[in-house]
Amino acid sequence: MKTLLKIFGLLLIFPATSCEDVVDISLEETEPRLVVEASILSFKDSESNIQQIRLSQTAPFYDEETPPVENASVRIISEEGLQYDFIHTTEGYYINENLKPEIGATYELEIIYNDELYTATGTMMGVTDIDFIEQTATGGFGGDEIEVKVFYTDPANEPNFYLFIFRNDKISLEIYEDKFTDGNQIFGYYSNEDIQPGDEIDIEMYGISKSYYEYLFILRAQIGENSGGPFETQPATVKGNVINRSNKENYPFGYFHLSEVDTSSYIVK
Amino acid sequence: MKQNFYLFILACCFAFTSFAQESYTLSGTITDAASNETLIGVNVLIPSLNTGVVTNEYGFYSLKIPEGTFEMVISYLGFQTISEEITVSGQTSRNFKLKESSEILDEIVISQRSEGLNIKKPEMSLNRLSINTIQKMPVIFGEVDVIKSLLLLPGVSNAGEGSSGFNVRGGAVDQNLILLDEATIYNSSHLFGFFSVFNPDAIKDLKLYKGGIPAKYGGRVSSVLDIYQRDGNSRELKMQGGIGAISSRLLAEGPIVKDKGSFLIGGRSSYAHLFLKFTDNENSAYFYDLNTKLSYRLDDKNKIYFSGYFGRDVFSLSRNFKNTYGNAVLNLRWNHIFSDNIFSNLSVIYSDYYYGLTLGFVGFNWDSGIKNLNLKYDFDHYLNDTFQLKYGFQNTYYDFNPGEIEPIDESSGINYFKLNNKHAFESAVYFSAEHNISEKFSAEYGLRYSGFFRLGPDELSTYEDDSPVIYNKDRDIYEEAEPIGSQSYERAKIISSFGNFEPRLSIAYSFDLNQSVKASYNRMTQYLHLISNTSSPTPLDVWTPSGPFIEPQILDQYALGYFRNFKDGAYSLEAETFYKKVKNRIDYVNGANLIANNNIERVILNGKSRAYGLEILFRKNEGRFTGWLAYTLSKAEQKTPGRTPVETGINGGDWYNSNYNKTHDVSFTASYEANKKWEFNANFSFQTGLPSTFPTAQYSYENITVPVYSPRNSNRLPAYHRLDLSANYNPKISSEKDFKSSWSFGIYNVYNRKNAYSLTFRENSDTGVNEAVRLSLFGIIPSVTYNFSF
Repeated sequence: MKTLLKIFGLLLIFPATSCEDVVDISLEETEPRLVVEASILSFKDSESNIQQIRLSQTAPFYDEETPPVENASVRIISEEGLQYDFIHTTEGYYINENLKPEIGATYELEIIYNDELYTATGTMMGVTDIDFIEQTATGGFGGDEIEVKVFYTDPANEPNFYLFIFRNDKISLEIYEDKFTDGNQIFGYYSNEDIQPGDEIDIEMYGISKSYYEYLFILRAQIGENSGGPFETQPATVKGNVINRSNKENYPFGYFHLSEVDTSSYIVK
Repeated sequence: MKQNFYLFILACCFAFTSFAQESYTLSGTITDAASNETLIGVNVLIPSLNTGVVTNEYGFYSLKIPEGTFEMVISYLGFQTISEEITVSGQTSRNFKLKESSEILDEIVISQRSEGLNIKKPEMSLNRLSINTIQKMPVIFGEVDVIKSLLLLPGVSNAGEGSSGFNVRGGAVDQNLILLDEATIYNSSHLFGFFSVFNPDAIKDLKLYKGGIPAKYGGRVSSVLDIYQRDGNSRELKMQGGIGAISSRLLAEGPIVKDKGSFLIGGRSSYAHLFLKFTDNENSAYFYDLNTKLSYRLDDKNKIYFSGYFGRDVFSLSRNFKNTYGNAVLNLRWNHIFSDNIFSNLSVIYSDYYYGLTLGFVGFNWDSGIKNLNLKYDFDHYLNDTFQLKYGFQNTYYDFNPGEIEPIDESSGINYFKLNNKHAFESAVYFSAEHNISEKFSAEYGLRYSGFFRLGPDELSTYEDDSPVIYNKDRDIYEEAEPIGSQSYERAKIISSFGNFEPRLSIAYSFDLNQSVKASYNRMTQYLHLISNTSSPTPLDVWTPSGPFIEPQILDQYALGYFRNFKDGAYSLEAETFYKKVKNRIDYVNGANLIANNNIERVILNGKSRAYGLEILFRKNEGRFTGWLAYTLSKAEQKTPGRTPVETGINGGDWYNSNYNKTHDVSFTASYEANKKWEFNANFSFQTGLPSTFPTAQYSYENITVPVYSPRNSNRLPAYHRLDLSANYNPKISSEKDFKSSWSFGIYNVYNRKNAYSLTFRENSDTGVNEAVRLSLFGIIPSVTYNFSF
C-alpha cells in the first residue's frame, strides 16, 4: 500500500519542466553506532546449518564504506540454554556452523562490544511454499514493464507476514501482510523497468514476525527514492530489536530475526 | 444550557428593540444595474447622521434612522457612487442599482477602496479579495486561481509548489473552513494543488478570516475562507469563457424570468493526456468542474437560491491504475426579511467528497468518502445604528466511509474488506453582536456553543487500560496494542459526546479617521481530523470524527494590530501580531500505516501545536499603479510528549517545526495600467525554505544503504524565491455591450530559479555513491490565455 503514495510522487514529476539534479548539501555528523544484521535462516531446500551475523558501524552519510566491527563477542542462546558461539572470520562476519533453528522456538542474541552488552530475542517463523512463478509484460503503473509474480498460498485464519528479496543487479525488498488476502493464493510482486529477457532473478521468500514486518515497513520508507517528497511520510529513526543493556543512549541499529526461507530462481523470458 | 442561551438572546433583542422605538427602519437590497447581481460589502451612509452600514452576503442593508429628510450615499468598488435624498416617515424600503464606473469614464481610475481598510470596524485579520484583483495576478499556467492569490497575503502559505490546500498562521491544511455558498468543501485542490477547485468566473466575492473569527463560523480552528458564487444575470443572456494552454472554461448566465429569476452554469475542464511522460501508453490526468446556480426573487421579502458544484479529478495510467476524486455540493437557500430589520437565511446543504482507486495489477478497487447533510438558519438583526446582532444555529449529520476494498474480479487474490462507517452529529448555536460603543470605540463580541455526538452503528475495539498504543520501553518505540475485545453500538446510539463554549471578541479603538488599534481573541473547536502523516496532504487521506480515542482540537488565538490609512486611503498599512495554540492535535507514531487502517487509534498520539508571528501588509490602493508588499515573520511548531514520564513521545517529546513553518515570507505584487489596452502585473516572493529532515549518518542493512536521520524537521530546504510577470491586452474597448475579448500573457518563474521541491538522500544505483538529489518542479513557464465574453 505504501506504493500508492509513490504514485503521487510520480505524477508530480510529469510536467516537462521538472528536473532532478545532484546538489552539494553539507550535513552534520553523529557518533558511530553499532549495526547488527542477525538473520538466522533455515532454507527449505538445504540441510546447511551455517549461520552468519554481520556487525558494522554507522558512518558519515557521504562516506563510501561503513566500517566493519571485528572485535565483538557474539553468541545465540536457545530456550534450553544451548549456546552457539559465533566466531569472527573477516570484514565483520561472525560464523556458527551448528545452529538449526526450530520453528516456534525462541532464541536470544548476546553481543559484547566495547564493554557494553547488547541483547535481542526472536522467535523462529515458518513459511509456506512458493507455488509457481508467472511473468507478464503489462506490469508497473505504466503497464509496460516486465513483471514477475511469485505465487504462494497463505495459510488461512492466522496472521502471516512475508518478506520477499529479489536479487538481480539490484536488491529489492518487498513485504506483505495477509490482512486483505487471508487464506488465498496470492503473489509476491517484482517489476523493474530495467529487466531484460535472459536476466536471472534470485527469489527468497521469508516468513517473518509482525514486529520485523513493522521494522521493515519503516526502514523501506527511508531508503532510495521512497524518502523526502511531500507525499511521503517524514523520515524517522529506524529502531530495531537489539537493545543496549549497558547504556540505553548508545542504542544500536539493525535487527535479530529467525526465518524459514523458500528460494527459487527465475530466468526472464 | 441551550435553553438559557436562547433566552439570553431573546432578552438582548427585546432590550435593544424597546430602546430603539422612536426611529424607523430603512432597508433594501443593492444590485448591479447591468446584471441585477446582488453586491456584497457596499457602503451605505447617511453623512448627516454620521451613521452607515455595509450590505451583507446577500446584498441586504438595514438602518435605523429618525423621521426626516436625509442625503444617502451608496459607494462601492468599481461602481459610480449614488447620492440621493430620501424622506423617511415610516418603515421605508429602498433598493438601489449601481452602474459600473468604467463604462462612463474616459480615464481609467482604479479604485480599490472597498478592499482598503476599514479603520473603525472591529474586524481584523481579515482579507477581502475581489475577483477583479485576483484576475490581475500572474499565476502558474496562465490560470487565474483563488488559492494561489491568497498565498500572496501575509500569514498565508503552503507546503511548496504543487501541494494541496493552504496554511494560515501556522495552521494545518485541514484546519481551514472552506465555504462555497455556505457549503463546506473538503478538498480545495485539483491536480494535487496545481489548481484550486474554484472557477473564478463563477465567483463574486471572497473573504479570508485569519483571526478574530466571528461566532457565526465554527468547526475548524485555523481560518475561514468564505466564498460566494455569482447569482447570474437576470436581465440578459451572457456568455464568457477562456481558452488556455492547460484548461478551458465556459460560463452562461441569464434570466429565467426577467428581473426576477436567473440561472448560471459554468464549466471548466483541463485537457486529458496532458501530464504525459509515458507517451506510448493510455495515460491521462485531467480535471473538470461544474458550477450551477438558480436564483429567484419571490417578492421583496423572499428570495430562493439553488446552487450546485460538482468537480472531479481523474488519473489513469493504463488499465493498471485509476484514481478519481472530487467534491459534490447541493445547496438550497431561502432568504426572508422579517419586519425590515431582520434578515434571515435558511440553508439546506448536502455535500459529498469521494475518493476512488483501482489498482489493476494488484486486483482491487478502493472507495472512500464523506457525506454530510447540513441545516442552518442565520439571522442578521439590525437593532439600531450602534448595535447589530447576528444569531443562528447549525446542525450537521456526517456519514464517513473510511474505505471499502473490493476484488476486481474472481481471479483476484484480494478479499472483500470494509472499514466501519462512522457517523456523527454536530450542532451549534451562536450569537454575535457588533456594537459601536462610542465614537472611537467599537466591539464585536459573541459566543458559540458547539456540541458533537459520535453515533452508532459502529463497532469499536477495546484495549487493556483503554490504551490502544503501547510504549516499548526497551526499544523506545510505539507499538499497536492488540484489541482485547470489541463493543458494538446500535444505530443512533451516542458513543461519545463533546460540548464546548467558544467565546469570540474583537475590539477597535480609532484615534482618528485614519488610525486605529484592534485586538481580538477567539476560541474555536474542531471535531473532524484529517488523518495524514505525509508532509503535504494527499487526496487519499481520510477524515475522521472525534470519538472515544480522539479528542476535539481546541484553539485559542490572540491578535493585536495597528491599522492606518495614508493620503485619504490611497495607501494603507496593517500590522498584526498573533499567538495561537491548539490542544489535541493528532500526531503519528513512526511507521504509522494509515491506509485501510480500521484502528487509527493504534497509531496516533495526542499532541499540541502553537504558532506566533508578525504580519505586515502595505498597500497602494489607488491610481494606475496598485499593489502590495506583504511580510510575515512566524514560527509554527508541534509537540507530542510522552503520556508518562518514562515515554519519550514523538521526536523525543520536544517542540519541532511544523511541515509548513517558514520563518520569513515576503511577497510583492504590483499591477500597472499603462493605457486602456495594456495592463502589466508582477509578483515576487521570497520564503525561507521549508523544514526538512537530513541524514547525519548511514549504515548498511541487507546490502542496502540506510540513512540515519536527524530529529523531525530540524533542517531546511534552500530558500525559495520566484518572479512572475504577466500582461493583459484588451484589443478594443467598445462602449457597446457586444463581443469582448482579451489576451493574457504570463511568464512564471522568469529567471528560471530551480527551487527545491524536495531533497532526497539516497544511494546512486549506478555508481553506489550516496548523494543529495534536488527535485525542482517548475522552471520558467510561459503561458497564454484567450478570454471572451458576449
